[in-house]
Amino acid sequence: MAAALIPAPDPRLPHLLRLPPARGAASLLEEVRQALGEQETVGPLRGELILLAGDWRLPLPELRAVQALLEPLGLALSRVCSELPETRVAAAALGLIAEAPAQATAASAGEGEPGLRVHRGTLRSGEHLQGEGSLLLLGDLNPGARISAVGDILVWGRLRGVAHAGCQGDEAARIVALQLRPLQLRIADAVARGPQERPAPGLAEQARLVDGVIRIDPAEPVCPPLERPMRLRTSLGLNLPRRPGLP
Amino acid sequence: MTSATARTILICSGKGGVGKTTLTANLGIALARLGHPVAVLDADFGLRNLDLLLGLENRIVYTAQEVLSESCRLEQALVRHKQEPNLSLLPAGNPRMLEWLTPEDMQKIVAQLAERFDYVLIDAPAGVEQGFRNAAAAAREAIVVTNPEVSAVRDADRVIGLLHSMEISPVQLVLNRVRPQMMANQEMLSVDEITEMLALPLLGLVLEDQQVIVSTNRGEPLTLGDVASPAAKGYRNIARRLDGENVPLLDPSKERRGLRARLLNKLRQTTGLF
Repeated sequence: MAAALIPAPDPRLPHLLRLPPARGAASLLEEVRQALGEQETVGPLRGELILLAGDWRLPLPELRAVQALLEPLGLALSRVCSELPETRVAAAALGLIAEAPAQATAASAGEGEPGLRVHRGTLRSGEHLQGEGSLLLLGDLNPGARISAVGDILVWGRLRGVAHAGCQGDEAARIVALQLRPLQLRIADAVARGPQERPAPGLAEQARLVDGVIRIDPAEPVCPPLERPMRLRTSLGLNLPRRPGLP
Repeated sequence: MTSATARTILICSGKGGVGKTTLTANLGIALARLGHPVAVLDADFGLRNLDLLLGLENRIVYTAQEVLSESCRLEQALVRHKQEPNLSLLPAGNPRMLEWLTPEDMQKIVAQLAERFDYVLIDAPAGVEQGFRNAAAAAREAIVVTNPEVSAVRDADRVIGLLHSMEISPVQLVLNRVRPQMMANQEMLSVDEITEMLALPLLGLVLEDQQVIVSTNRGEPLTLGDVASPAAKGYRNIARRLDGENVPLLDPSKERRGLRARLLNKLRQTTGLF
């Protein structure tokens, strides 16, 4: 299998560049050149491009080289999807959106609403975890780190950074953590600063949107339903205080 | 990458001015005094000053730059410490090296050092950019230095994330410039708060100590003499723990010095006696 450039079906959507499995493939630049070469016969492409890097180890210079190859064709690398954390770190360093594969395939394939994604390990300052469905973080979210999900955010650990649940407008999304000490919480379009005082020890808490304001309560002893239909708001920004203090 | 026996340890912090270079110098001396051949490598090419702290500035003839370009042998570039012959310094080259130095170059230098020494300590530059990445590429282990300050802890957290992604292990923590009195009054982040956040094994605490400044200016690391300075004790304990010895950690809450101890310390600083 060689590298393939998959043009977007719709001009609003990004193009995809899929690399073959790293084992047995030619060098990175050869693969990319070949894929782009095939495209020249079809006609010029423009717009955003997602690199599906698979198991390729791509340090910063290699990613830059790929960008340099894409630029003359009017293609802007916007997102890198890789199985390897090193590649994701390098992509993030270039200011690109970096993500793990499960997420991108679900998004690009459009298989309806993706379910729960589990991330193991602590998110440290500067890291940003995004999910197309709900996210379960097994570890802490440290100050300076961000987590955002289209659905719910569940943190099996201490939430001390910034969390954004329902980031595409789902007002029923909730944020649950074993210890909720966030810098900032966001649910749909509502934003709230974290409470000043420390939470009572040994009490899992959840944040929900109640009448347009984010409220923190002890967590409900039920798991949020994953297959919940998305409740998108119809009118934007009405009655939503931008920065309400927490109760 | 390196020989099986030598331990190649990166000393880094993210934030500048928290005490990376001071720790490298003191730890180098302390490990050397435990009988190990130790090399310290200044990987801070932009703002080098490990040579200053060790008092070896005027003995530098060749640097890592000449070793890499093979215009001298490694032995010629190594500067042996005057009082502690177990310790050698490989000085940083000129700042323009930053433009062409690659992680492979650093690995090459460190591999050469690892053949000759038990410990190779790499003093990383501040920041998380290419200089830091070059230095980290050559190390197997890391020590992250931080101060009990929010900004230093935040930067340390970022660095730890990067070290994990580079598969450097173990990563251990040194908490520098601890003021027991301020911790007791809850004016400073506590040891527990910091270790809980960074989730790293604590290799040691170093107490705030004015003698560090004096020793830095003199180019004589505190661990060189037998002064009863609290910081020197902290550095020596870190060296012993790194060497596998089980030394109990200092409890800052028991270090709230009484009036007498403080007066004695004041006297020691002003007179330079005992």
